[in-house]
Amino acid sequence: MSTPILSLKNISKRFGGLLAVNGVNIDIMPGETVGLIGPNGAGKTTLVSLISGTLTPTTGEIVFQGHNITALPAFERARLGIGRTFQIMKPFPGLTVLDNVAVGALYGTTTTNKALSQARDEAMEWLRRMDLHSKAQQRAEELGGPDRKRLELAKAMAMKPTLLLLDEVMAGLNLVEIDEVIEAIKVVRETGISILVIEHMMKVIQSLSDRLLVLHHGQQIMAGTPQDVLNDPRVIEAYLGKRRV
Amino acid sequence: MKRLLPLLLIIILGVLTALPWIAGPTLVQFAINALMLATLAQGWNIIGGFAGYASFGNSIFFGLGSYGVAIAMVQWNLPFGVGLVIGVVFSVLFALAMGVPVLRLRGHYFAIATLALSQVMSAIFSNLDIAGRNIGLVLPLLRSDTLFYELSLGLLVIATLTVFWLSRSRFGFGLIAIRENEDAAQSMGVNTTRYKVLAFTLAGIFSSLAGGIHAYWITFIDPNSAFDLSLNVKMIIMAVFGGPGSVLGPVIGAALLSAISELLSSTLSSVASLFFGVVIVIAVILMPKGLTDCWLRFPVTGWRYFIHNIRQHRL
Repeated sequence: MSTPILSLKNISKRFGGLLAVNGVNIDIMPGETVGLIGPNGAGKTTLVSLISGTLTPTTGEIVFQGHNITALPAFERARLGIGRTFQIMKPFPGLTVLDNVAVGALYGTTTTNKALSQARDEAMEWLRRMDLHSKAQQRAEELGGPDRKRLELAKAMAMKPTLLLLDEVMAGLNLVEIDEVIEAIKVVRETGISILVIEHMMKVIQSLSDRLLVLHHGQQIMAGTPQDVLNDPRVIEAYLGKRRV
Repeated sequence: MKRLLPLLLIIILGVLTALPWIAGPTLVQFAINALMLATLAQGWNIIGGFAGYASFGNSIFFGLGSYGVAIAMVQWNLPFGVGLVIGVVFSVLFALAMGVPVLRLRGHYFAIATLALSQVMSAIFSNLDIAGRNIGLVLPLLRSDTLFYELSLGLLVIATLTVFWLSRSRFGFGLIAIRENEDAAQSMGVNTTRYKVLAFTLAGIFSSLAGGIHAYWITFIDPNSAFDLSLNVKMIIMAVFGGPGSVLGPVIGAALLSAISELLSSTLSSVASLFFGVVIVIAVILMPKGLTDCWLRFPVTGWRYFIHNIRQHRL
């Protein structure tokens, strides 16, 4: 049994009187794609922010590749190899699509000086894989829905992370666009990195994840293969009872 | 065009270097002032144009540099060069000490905080014996506009070369990422706090040196003129007029606006500042991203460039 790349140990996060995340334990193995589902307000995005370092947990410990990163700021976690996308997209609007991705190549897990031209070459490679290279010279703010999502993926992947956190990448897309972005995520998954996918759409989570976790009221109520989880009465009651189509 | 630009710049630089020997004293004095403003605009460009932090605290560095030279020369009888170094040391210490808390603020809050800081510094220096309190300090007189001119030109060249390096370095790219989206920059591995403080410090060094040279040239400083807020407003207007975040924009902006302001005040005298205001309002409406953006886009889009910008303002 290999050691997990990321371990959350009894993580809790309190916002005033609200316990958004309550004693969550998660292990993510190298190369594994883990899906995280749960109803609105279950604490999914909070959990992503705790892992990426935008928030620090009230109690508990986060271990990434053997380092205790609980108290590290976000940029240092990025340097260690944690990349993320944001539910509310955060591109660099005035920069070209290419330069958006180049920021990832220039920083991310790279800590030494790197020439801009080299970073742009690496960025172009990811744009090609995300099928965005024809729009490399457009400004990021000019991109439409699915392209923006692909840009977020390319930006995160140019950082050369070992763990990628995808926070509701599909939000705001129609069914056709979702299929396109699923294909893009599959390209990312083939690189062998670990991925934590947070998603509302069952179709997405089923087609991507090796393992599923269910969060409800800040607590983890279930973990297992997608089939097991989605057929579990507790999950259906908490989440799917209203949403199962 | 791209190939001609360096050649053109070298020719312009050569003419500028020779200016004191070919132009009259009035023009040289005007040029010293314009060069100083260009250096200040270029310094503001680092923190305001690249990192996107609209600093109203750059005139503090100008004041610290002025007082560094004045105190060193008047109170301690040290040479001018040592005074410049003292001014820079003060500015760097100030940027590091105040940058860390103030740069945590974003947008308007940062602008207001730096605005307040410059008033505080003015109040502090009006109560320091060593700085001559309210009365200020009178520096030894040196009648050599040529020297001041060449010093100012040299400083502007160094500042512009620094910004040129910034525009193609990893550091500069990180600053631009901060300007475009600070949260995203942070989550992609940019040490945002350190970068912002470094940019603030770098801007401070150039403003401080400009202040030091200016103090020795003018031979008199007091708290009001050293920490003059309208100077900070000028550098912002010039940098934004020229093109914030570009290499030559702030220099061109400073040169053009200095010339326009000079022409207006010599032809219209009393109502000059009114017309100057009109020029700036029109410039901001027609080319909100500055001259450099207009220069790059106008050949592509033509007059639609201005119409597009007017529409953007919903006028």
